[in-house]
Amino acid sequence: MPKERPVVSKIINLAVFILLEIASLHMLSNNNQLQRLWFARISHGFMAKTWGTTQAIGNYFSLKKQNDELALDNERLREIVRGYEQAAIKADSSMKPVLGKDGFNYIPATIIKSGTSTQHNYLILDKGSEDGVVENSGIISSKGVIGIVDAVSKHYSFAISFLNKELNISARLDTSGAVGPLAWDGISTNGAVLKEIPLQFKYNPGDTVYTSGYSAIFPPDIPLGIAGEAKVINGATNEISVRLFQDHSALKYVTIIENTRLSEIAEIESREKEVKK
Amino acid sequence: MRKTFTFTYILMVIAQMILSNYFHFTPFAMLTILPAMVLCIPTKVDTFLAMIIAFATGLAVDLFAEGALGINALSLVPVAFLRKTLIGTIFGVEPFEQKENLTIKKYGFARVSFAIILVTAIFLIIYILADSAGTRPLWFLGTKFGLSLLASYLVSIILVNLLSYDDRR
Repeated sequence: MPKERPVVSKIINLAVFILLEIASLHMLSNNNQLQRLWFARISHGFMAKTWGTTQAIGNYFSLKKQNDELALDNERLREIVRGYEQAAIKADSSMKPVLGKDGFNYIPATIIKSGTSTQHNYLILDKGSEDGVVENSGIISSKGVIGIVDAVSKHYSFAISFLNKELNISARLDTSGAVGPLAWDGISTNGAVLKEIPLQFKYNPGDTVYTSGYSAIFPPDIPLGIAGEAKVINGATNEISVRLFQDHSALKYVTIIENTRLSEIAEIESREKEVKK
Repeated sequence: MRKTFTFTYILMVIAQMILSNYFHFTPFAMLTILPAMVLCIPTKVDTFLAMIIAFATGLAVDLFAEGALGINALSLVPVAFLRKTLIGTIFGVEPFEQKENLTIKKYGFARVSFAIILVTAIFLIIYILADSAGTRPLWFLGTKFGLSLLASYLVSIILVNLLSYDDRR
C-alpha cells in the first residue's frame, strides 16, 4: 500500500484528475458532433431535474401559505352559500323553520395547539378578540363540530375541544328527529355517543346525526356523523354510538361561529328566571 | 532501466496507434493496451505524474489514430487516478516498499491478470459509453465490452512482460 499521504496531496490529485477529465470532455464535445449532442442531452436532463426538484421544494414550503389562502377562500364561498340560503328562505317561507341560519358570524381560524391524548382536551386558535371572537362561540369545520371558545385574549382563543368529557352538544337524528346530547366516547378521535334518545323514536343504524339548533351556540343542520349501534340504558332511553365525520387527530383549519343574538337570548332567559322567582 | 521503460512505453504507444488505425475487424470489439501500460508505470511514480503521463498518452493516441479526439485521454486518466489504490488492494504493500515493478514472475499470473482485467474494464466502460454517446442499445454495449475486454486482456498479458522488467535481474 502507498504510504499515508497528506490530505493536501490527495486534494491536489483529485483536483488534477477533475481538471484532466474536464479537458478531455471539452475536447471530446468540441470535436465530435455526436458527443456534443450527448453531453447537451445529459446536461439538459440534469438541469431539468435540478430545476424540477428546486421547484418542488419551493412548492412544499409554500403549502402553508396556500392552505391559509384556501381556508379563506372556503370561508368566502361558504358566506356566499349562506347568502343564497337566506335568499331561498325569504323566497319560500315554508322553509323558514328548517333553515333559519341567520344571526351567525363566521371567522376562519387556524389551530395552533391541540391535544387528543387526555380526557379533557383543549385547543388554542390564532384568532382573538381583535378578530371579533367572543367567549361561548362555537367552532366548526366542514365536517362537524370541533369545540366551544372558553376564553379569549387579544390575539388567541382558548377552546374546549369536543374531545372533552365535559362537553355535550345538542344533536338530532335525521329520520326520527329525536334530539339528545352528543358527547365524545372518550376512546377514539372520531367516536361519540348520542344519549337520552327515547325508546319510542324510530332509529336505523346509518342515520346521519346533525346539530339540533336548540343551543344558542351552533346553528342547526351541521352534519356531525353516522349513527351506529344502540344500547338501552336503564330500560328507558337509547344510547347510540356515532362515528364522527371529522377525525380530530387531523385538524388544522376551522371556523369560529358567533351567534350575534346570544346576548339577546341570554337576556330573555334571565328575565324569565326573575319572573319565576 | 528508466530509459528502457520510457523507450518501451513509447514503442507501445506507437503500437496502440497502429492497433487503433488498422485493427478494425468488427464493431463489436476493440483492442487496447493503454490501461495495462498505465498499470505498469513504475510504482515510485506518484499519482499526479501518472495522471499526466496517462493524459499525454491518451491524447497522443487520439491525435494520431482514428476516433474521437479526447476519448482515450478521458478513459485513461481514471485508470491512472485509481492505479495506486488498485495495486495496493491486489498486490499489497510490497510493490511500494520494495519499489518493484509488477511482474508475473514475482506476483503470479493470476494476480497480474486480475489487475489487468480490472484496469481494462475501467477504461472500456468509459470508452464505450462515451463512444456510443447514448446511441447504441445495451446489448451492443455489453457485447462490445465483453469481447473487447477479452481481446485486450490477451494482448496486454503478453505485452506486460515487456514493460514490467525486473530491476534485480
